[in-house]
Amino acid sequence: MKYAFYPGCAVHHSSKEYGESCRAISKALDVELAEIPDWSCCGAIDAVYSYRPLSSIALVARDLALVEKMGMDVVTLCSACYYTLNRTNKLLKENSELKNKVDAALSSAGLSYSGNVRVRHFLEALITDVGLQRIKERVKTPLTALNVASYYGCFLVRPQYLTSFDDPEHPKSLDDLAEALGASKVEYYGKIRCCGASLQITDEKVMLEMSKKILLSAKDAGANCIITACPLCHFNLDAKQKAIESKFDVKIDLPILHFTQLVGLAFAIPPKDLGLDKNFVVPNKILLQYARSVA
Amino acid sequence: MQPNTQLEKTNQKVETTPAEPLVQQKDRWAFVHEVEKLPGGENILDCLQCGLCAGTCPTRFAMDYSPIQIIKMIHLGMREEVLSSSTIWVCSSCYSCYSRCPRAVDITTLMMSLRNLAMKEKIPVKKEIKPKFHKTFYEIVRKYGRLHEPELLMKILKKSDLPNLYNNVKFGWSLLRKGRLKLRPTKIGNHAELLAILEKTAKEEAQ
Repeated sequence: MKYAFYPGCAVHHSSKEYGESCRAISKALDVELAEIPDWSCCGAIDAVYSYRPLSSIALVARDLALVEKMGMDVVTLCSACYYTLNRTNKLLKENSELKNKVDAALSSAGLSYSGNVRVRHFLEALITDVGLQRIKERVKTPLTALNVASYYGCFLVRPQYLTSFDDPEHPKSLDDLAEALGASKVEYYGKIRCCGASLQITDEKVMLEMSKKILLSAKDAGANCIITACPLCHFNLDAKQKAIESKFDVKIDLPILHFTQLVGLAFAIPPKDLGLDKNFVVPNKILLQYARSVA
Repeated sequence: MQPNTQLEKTNQKVETTPAEPLVQQKDRWAFVHEVEKLPGGENILDCLQCGLCAGTCPTRFAMDYSPIQIIKMIHLGMREEVLSSSTIWVCSSCYSCYSRCPRAVDITTLMMSLRNLAMKEKIPVKKEIKPKFHKTFYEIVRKYGRLHEPELLMKILKKSDLPNLYNNVKFGWSLLRKGRLKLRPTKIGNHAELLAILEKTAKEEAQ
């Protein structure tokens, strides 16, 4: 299985460990990821779109034109990129006036895009193409002692006109994956609530309040860890957890793993290759026990 | 027998002048039709004011008007109030409201369009960092082809807010130690190609 790979700025910089763990488990599952040569930023949901809609669409159309040359589906690790790329595809398909403008801009750079690239989230590709059965077969250390709270966030499951591989109200893809790895799933309030990623820079107070609700509800439900499928969600829940603890004077201490890291642990891939040392919240005893069993 | 003063009072003809309507009838529809042409506003009149959007909104607590109020205000033609509300800037684009809306009103996309409209018309914002964020983000992507977070932060954070600045530097340091921060930006190889595209679209947007 081979895909064009769109890492996105977050995975490229501030969430390197997500990319590292993704590559490690892809190797173990014989999934080949070919990074798009010279990909550019997608414009991050509405960061560019709210200011310059046409430019933001042309920016992504360039990336999609590059993928089209490669002749493969494109997968991304970031839910925000997943949304932005899919939105561009939809707008170009539905709005011919817009498409003409974008085509003109692309042709000034010698590019063209006919709209035939399928944009997928790496999680979706893993579950639908590789299949839970094959993942199960590859598990070396079943994570039986773990209670995993799956955090879906926003763009993996919403809006429904762009993504339909999971239910927007009761998603289960991450839960199914966690169970395939031998872990138990945890039901909790915050699993589809927004973490406030797009407000991280401009409205930190609001963002901290939003992420706090997710963390506390998972902890109250008895989770030993949370898994995420987006670098922005992970950043808020993990790297900002200390800020949340001190702002609201609560003790949370809940490890947050990229779902790829959890898969890697069950596959007995060395923690270093999964970038576990780059996470902010120190792994708890149960996680360490699995990590050490590999080392 | 005592006269019923109460009754007499109510029987008196009271001269009243109708209250000045908040928005003139003509202007009211002008704004509704303007919104109907914006991405996300196509079926704004389908809203039945059920309030699911407000109930489900995770940032409602930080907004001056809830999403359902914003929609009603659009129906009433309150253009100025809508475009200067904090709501359109506090929305985190999470699509929870759209996802639960029984009439499939794409409020989230509409909020993006309203931000765009407010920026175009340079309407004063309660938090000036918001439009600055969008503009600076675009400039950086244009300059390198990718986002460079340290530069974005340095450009938009208030230099006078020292505690916040200190916290950000401290946090940046911990990211750096984990190898998760690059001080130098990454520029894409074929940057000229990107510039050619953005130059063309910027011209189009200026029209």
